[in-house]
Amino acid sequence: MHHAYIDKFAYQDSPVHRLDSRIKLMVLVIFTALVISVPRYSLSILACYAVGPFAVLVIGGIPMRFALKHIVIVSPFILVLAFSCVFYGRAPVVVEFGPFTVHTTTGWFQCFNILSKFVVTMLALIALVSTTRFAELLKGLEKLHVPKLLVVQLGFLYRYIFVLIDSVHHILRARAGRKLRYLGAKAEFKTAGAMVGSLLIRSINTAERVSMAMQARGFDGTFRTYSKMHIAAGDYLFCAAAGCFLLLIHIIIRPALI
Amino acid sequence: MPGAVEIENFSYTYPDGTIALSDISLKISPGERMALIGPNGAGKSTLLLAMAGFLKGGGRVVIDGKQVTGRNKKEIRTAIGCVLQNPDEQLFMPTLFDDVAFGPLNMGLVGRQLTSRVEDVLRTVGLSQMAQKAPHHLSAGQKRAAAIATVLAMSPAILAMDEPDSHLDPRSRKGLVELLAGLDQTLVIATCNMNFAAQLCSRAVVMDKGRVVADGRAGEIMTDSELMLNHGLEVAGSLNV
Repeated sequence: MHHAYIDKFAYQDSPVHRLDSRIKLMVLVIFTALVISVPRYSLSILACYAVGPFAVLVIGGIPMRFALKHIVIVSPFILVLAFSCVFYGRAPVVVEFGPFTVHTTTGWFQCFNILSKFVVTMLALIALVSTTRFAELLKGLEKLHVPKLLVVQLGFLYRYIFVLIDSVHHILRARAGRKLRYLGAKAEFKTAGAMVGSLLIRSINTAERVSMAMQARGFDGTFRTYSKMHIAAGDYLFCAAAGCFLLLIHIIIRPALI
Repeated sequence: MPGAVEIENFSYTYPDGTIALSDISLKISPGERMALIGPNGAGKSTLLLAMAGFLKGGGRVVIDGKQVTGRNKKEIRTAIGCVLQNPDEQLFMPTLFDDVAFGPLNMGLVGRQLTSRVEDVLRTVGLSQMAQKAPHHLSAGQKRAAAIATVLAMSPAILAMDEPDSHLDPRSRKGLVELLAGLDQTLVIATCNMNFAAQLCSRAVVMDKGRVVADGRAGEIMTDSELMLNHGLEVAGSLNV
């Protein structure tokens, strides 16, 4: 079965794909912190920040359509939060765009501020996962001293989420093949409950056998992994470029626009 | 001559009271290739798990000269490599390289020794180009070969495989036969596919309802239509033994 892998472009080759995952992770964290720290009524500065991830996506050969599609997929959560601002920020504001004057409220400003921050940080996140193989990302997290248990859990999640999705599809297909009519709410819920139960039991059985496979290969409770990473000249260059870009925005452009 | 695997009067009952194995006695010589055949529920997989020290039952199991006890699991699992039926359960790491390195790392291998072991094994199974791939990007045949590689990397003396040919198309099955035929290890293959077993094994043990019901040369056992049909099996079509 084919899945829409979030890292399907991570196996390409480009200057950003070749960068060390630790560097990309650190830059992402700093970038996200700076974007989040933008005051809640500022908008134009966020467009400047968007240049960074946009450049990475272009250099990495990641289609913008792919990035925007993933932003749309996760947007419902943030849309609820953003549009709720409209209802409690009712102080009037007048905005002037050259010859145009728009009468609005602080709530709408906050709403667009949240949405813009979301889009910019998501672009950066997609730029990271689309230019870094998930395994490299995990190794980067491990080298940056993120607790090993968390890294291992992320690894298992990534490894088995698709196996689980396959199981769900198989169960749904099996049901569709035999369910020829609407059975009524009670029966539908009962069937859905049985399907979830079946999925849970399958997952537990899979977990048991994975544990067995690990023990069969000498696993004794300590998770040992092999990783060999080194910082190359390109990484220093990327660090310098990212640093200059963020400093330029933070020290020069940001005070002028806010 | 001590056997690679020696099982004496081994019995095992599941916690719900179902008798899975009953008074099993077997001796497998080093380098021997043995097919464990039988219908579903005969106890083949349970016997493989008992060999790898996952089940504690009555009787005695000796692997490569070491009796299986609760205290020497690490030694036993270094001697016998267990390949599970579903490769998705065998391949749990983010990349194939990491998966193959998992066993050797637990054995204490590091640095150049570790990488050369992993590279050698991947070359043996023909997956050198796939080292950095995630397991879910491999085909069914490649996953099967990868699952065998994860165990071969620990240099076991014995390879125990549970239905290694399941869900494989004829081309992948042929590739698997060629791979296994080139290995020096003692092979114990649990399978329901007589043709697959016949292509690889010189000896066959028939199991049914938790008991060994026949043991002998694969060619003789698998062409005994009465024996095969009595135990829900089919006669091998083309024997190569």
